[in-house]
Amino acid sequence: MPDSFKMENLPFSLLTESEQAFLRANLDIGYYQSGEVIIKAGEQSEGVYVVFRGRVAESEPLDEDDEMLHVFMHYENEDYFGGWSAMHGSAIHNFTAEEETICHIFSTEILLELIDSNPGFADYFQQNLAAKSEIVAQQGEGQDMAEFMLATIEEAVVRDPLIVNEGTSIKESTQLMRETKSDSVLVRRGGRIGMVTGTDILNAVVLNDGSVDEDVATIATYRLITCKPDDFLFNALVIMTQQQIERVVVMEGDTLVGVVQLTDVLSYFSSHSHVIGLRLERASTIEDLREAATGLNNLIKALISTGVRIRFTMDLLAAMNKRIIAKLFDLVVPVDMQPHVCLIVMGSEGRGEQIMKTDQDNALIFRNGLNWAEKRQTMQRFSETLISFGFPPCPGNIMVSNPEWINSVDDWTQKLQDWSMSSDPEDQMRLAIAVDAKPVAGNVALFKVARNWFLRTMRNNDLFFSHFAKAAVEFDTPLTFFGNLKERDELDIKKGGIFPIVHGVRTFALEQRILATNTFERLEALVDAGVMQESDSKDISEALGLFVNIRLRQQIRRAEQAEDGIDPTPNIIELQQLNKMDRELLRDALLVVKSFKKSLTSRFHLSS
Amino acid sequence: MILPRAIRKFKDKRAVKDSRWASLFDQYEGDEVVSLDCETTSLDVSEASLLSIGAVKIKGKRVKTSDRLDIKLKPPADLTAESIKIHKIRAADLVDGVSIEEALEQVLEFVGNRPILGYYVNYDIRMLDKFLRPAFGFGLPNKAIELSHVYHDIIKWRHVGGDVDLRFDTIADKLNMPMIQRHTALGDAISVALMYVRLKHGDTPL
Repeated sequence: MPDSFKMENLPFSLLTESEQAFLRANLDIGYYQSGEVIIKAGEQSEGVYVVFRGRVAESEPLDEDDEMLHVFMHYENEDYFGGWSAMHGSAIHNFTAEEETICHIFSTEILLELIDSNPGFADYFQQNLAAKSEIVAQQGEGQDMAEFMLATIEEAVVRDPLIVNEGTSIKESTQLMRETKSDSVLVRRGGRIGMVTGTDILNAVVLNDGSVDEDVATIATYRLITCKPDDFLFNALVIMTQQQIERVVVMEGDTLVGVVQLTDVLSYFSSHSHVIGLRLERASTIEDLREAATGLNNLIKALISTGVRIRFTMDLLAAMNKRIIAKLFDLVVPVDMQPHVCLIVMGSEGRGEQIMKTDQDNALIFRNGLNWAEKRQTMQRFSETLISFGFPPCPGNIMVSNPEWINSVDDWTQKLQDWSMSSDPEDQMRLAIAVDAKPVAGNVALFKVARNWFLRTMRNNDLFFSHFAKAAVEFDTPLTFFGNLKERDELDIKKGGIFPIVHGVRTFALEQRILATNTFERLEALVDAGVMQESDSKDISEALGLFVNIRLRQQIRRAEQAEDGIDPTPNIIELQQLNKMDRELLRDALLVVKSFKKSLTSRFHLSS
Repeated sequence: MILPRAIRKFKDKRAVKDSRWASLFDQYEGDEVVSLDCETTSLDVSEASLLSIGAVKIKGKRVKTSDRLDIKLKPPADLTAESIKIHKIRAADLVDGVSIEEALEQVLEFVGNRPILGYYVNYDIRMLDKFLRPAFGFGLPNKAIELSHVYHDIIKWRHVGGDVDLRFDTIADKLNMPMIQRHTALGDAISVALMYVRLKHGDTPL
């Protein structure tokens, strides 16, 4: 009955009104003194506990001689616990009140009944992190942008076509257009379909002195630009821009489905920043390119503020950055040199995981024995131009303006090998950056030769992998600070969460000789290769996505507050800025990292 | 003549010996307590009518809000503007209410022979007795636990020679206990129950 229980928190907000009433009717209130064990490891949990007041610590059961109390997590302020234990029969950890605590409690029977009656609630309670964040995403608002980016033509703006038969006069057609408020008409002539626009009619009648009684079929255009209903809306826009037309006919095989109009598509673009992709395509000078590139930051903000799933944002930005760099390469590198060199991007850019424009990590590989005297100057200019586009220079100077990163294929492979055999942390870092490389412009074959050779030599080199993996478990993953949110607690999410995942997955991927460089794709490939459980892979993906998302939101906020517009602490997460839901997800995600590190440790024999 | 409660209880017990209520007079052996609160139209028992009754069981450290009583009575004739202000209960809120006899039966069923806990619990018991005695022929025989006495017994050592502030809100505040649905019978019963559990099992409040 107590109205002190907050139904608006997940997962209880997933319940229907009657289910909420049922839950409310079956709540008890428990009182616990500081230090009191609420659920004891090995014993059955009575049900689900929701903290109303106070704080509860989840900790490993103590051995007789084990003095250190290892606390996994803190629960307070409407956090719930005990559900897992309730459903799995017994608890594996101790749950202890760290201060005087009052909990709302509902029994396992009630939990099971709710799980039975409400699939969404069941998912949330039983599922892993991936499913949880999915539910949160669905509950969240502001999915418009994602819908736009992923909208297919058929679900967006297809208009029913106005079709007339051959023999209809221009006048009749115009009347029909007016009645149906169309600005174009499709004409069927035999087996073919042609299009007549308002402009066509104006031209025919006014400029060419045609008669309004003439057959409309004579002025139609029969070479129609078409797209499929399941094409992305974005593609339709690209087609229109490339072809300089305002309508695209939608065809499903041989069947006419409708017409998409530029004005309709544009109405989907609330902000001009979304047209950047098009401007990039059309840029023919460095100046054009710069203008398009500087619009990217606004695009990122728009995407994030509307809650687009982080992976789509990353993909989109990776594609755009790649286009910018490739385009610049085309503009800067002489055409006759382009087949003999390959520009690669590395690190987060190579993985396609940068969000804000991150440091340039790039390198050039050229054909053995290539004679190109202006290499250095050209690449110097390339780097400087990129900097002027807002891509910050790499602090480690890993970029093509540095001659160390301009290598022949032979030198490049030699470097990879030297790094892999070195125990110098600098070399290890260079290698980690280099194995995420992705070709963006020039002759891709040059890059592939070097990469394939490297992957072959690494095969079965257990010593190398064991050494390489070590960095992933170097930093502790913090989980114990969630209780004291009143204090200004901070968390370095790169050390605690992002790096362990990225590097751990990278190691696995190298070992399996997986060519993908994107962490999400690597994770999927690891499942296909049979070295990772699908559920684990999904959880890890979701955790990484969450870290990046939370980090990005804070980065944007701090960048806006900073006078110079630059976030001074890009990897810091200020916990008090997070809402309850984010905190809970963050905690789950950090748990995922923790268990991933465990599996790394045992897989690569990293016992410290 | 006003008989002491113990004597009346003895007489009552004989009177109901063969009725369904006889077990109410048995010695209570369990570990449960019922926290009970009545909302009334006046603070004077002789003229007050019952508006609602709330009760909740306490077992050990657990306030069993899932096992509770929440009764609204039919609106009494004397529902005044004054009492509406206090309880925020209007006649309209009580149209679905039950009759006093039905309410009392539910209370007896729920409470059984468990001790009854309350804040100024004697007022609530006398209030119930006022209707119980004419209809059922006995008064509540249950042991009464007065929250402010429990509080006083624990707190008095810190206030030697001084008066202890026993106002409801003061006690709740001192115990740092949340108030749940203040001014509903059930809400107050829950709040009292929480304070009781806190006093019984927690540290001595400062």
